[in-house]
Amino acid sequence: MKLLMTASQIRGLPVVTVRGGEDVAEVRDVIYDPEAGRLVGLSLNQRGFLAGRRHEVLPADAIHAIGQDAMMVLEESSLVTPADAPEDVAHPATERNVLGDDVLTEGGTSLGKVTDLVLLVGSSGEVVGYQIDKAGGGQGYIPLPAQLAVSGDALVVPNITEEFVEDDLVGLGATVDEFRARLGLA
Amino acid sequence: MSESFRAAMGRKVVSRASAKGLGAVGHLLIDAQQRQITAVVIGRGKKARLVEWTQLSGFGPDAVMVVDEGALRPAADDRERDGVEGKLDLLGKRALSERGNELGNIDDVTFDNDTGTLEDLVIGDRRIPAGALLGSGSYAAVLDKSQEP
Repeated sequence: MKLLMTASQIRGLPVVTVRGGEDVAEVRDVIYDPEAGRLVGLSLNQRGFLAGRRHEVLPADAIHAIGQDAMMVLEESSLVTPADAPEDVAHPATERNVLGDDVLTEGGTSLGKVTDLVLLVGSSGEVVGYQIDKAGGGQGYIPLPAQLAVSGDALVVPNITEEFVEDDLVGLGATVDEFRARLGLA
Repeated sequence: MSESFRAAMGRKVVSRASAKGLGAVGHLLIDAQQRQITAVVIGRGKKARLVEWTQLSGFGPDAVMVVDEGALRPAADDRERDGVEGKLDLLGKRALSERGNELGNIDDVTFDNDTGTLEDLVIGDRRIPAGALLGSGSYAAVLDKSQEP
């Protein structure tokens, strides 16, 4: 059983230092690499109501843990200026945004449209699924394999994904290992 | 002997040299990594002063004895200023695991009144060894991941 969160739940989380116990920033948005199925980093806001954007970014490597109540980093120096950050964090390719993409199976069935990313809590940014608006209506969650192909229009998933469309995050958390085992990924 | 932060708040502070009352314990400053009380803040608010733990002749059940009132001084840096203003108080502070999950608020902290070494953090009905403390600041006290339920 895995504990999962969507990217929307991560936005606004305080960024807290393990060694200092200080809230040094808050999460503005996730920077995501859909081909690799991984978070590459986070953009940040300053802490406090209407405090505005913070210039620094947080590369995924510098995340100590993603929790339900806080994004943990070891020290404030984990936050780096874009000039010191890896290229894909400093200048994310906006055309790789998967939100709004049609989720198509290899067989050509549409499962719905991507509305959010689902991340594994406790990790440093593994993206394990997507929240979708289901083709038949309503919200659902699908587990993520190593994707077959992704563009700005659609992403293509294995046919068995259709059997693993879950109604909530708890369901997805319970099923993601089984899904990966079926694909021989676990 | 084991003492508690909650019980120590408001205890009178007296000069050993002059026997004069200097005020009452307002805050206790700690070094989270060393699990140690570093200083006692006397009074509260802007006029509060602090005295380092090493300048005490005793942290007794009825009074905290300062070797000499000359040892009292104002906050010397930003961290001490935050401490004097109570922003770094462990009492009532949110406890987070290093995995970023809340564990509750710190209700009390026990310490050895001889050495100033922290013993346990009390969170609800749990007593957590102070060795689990990884860091502490104005936002949270951060505890080792082994303390997650």
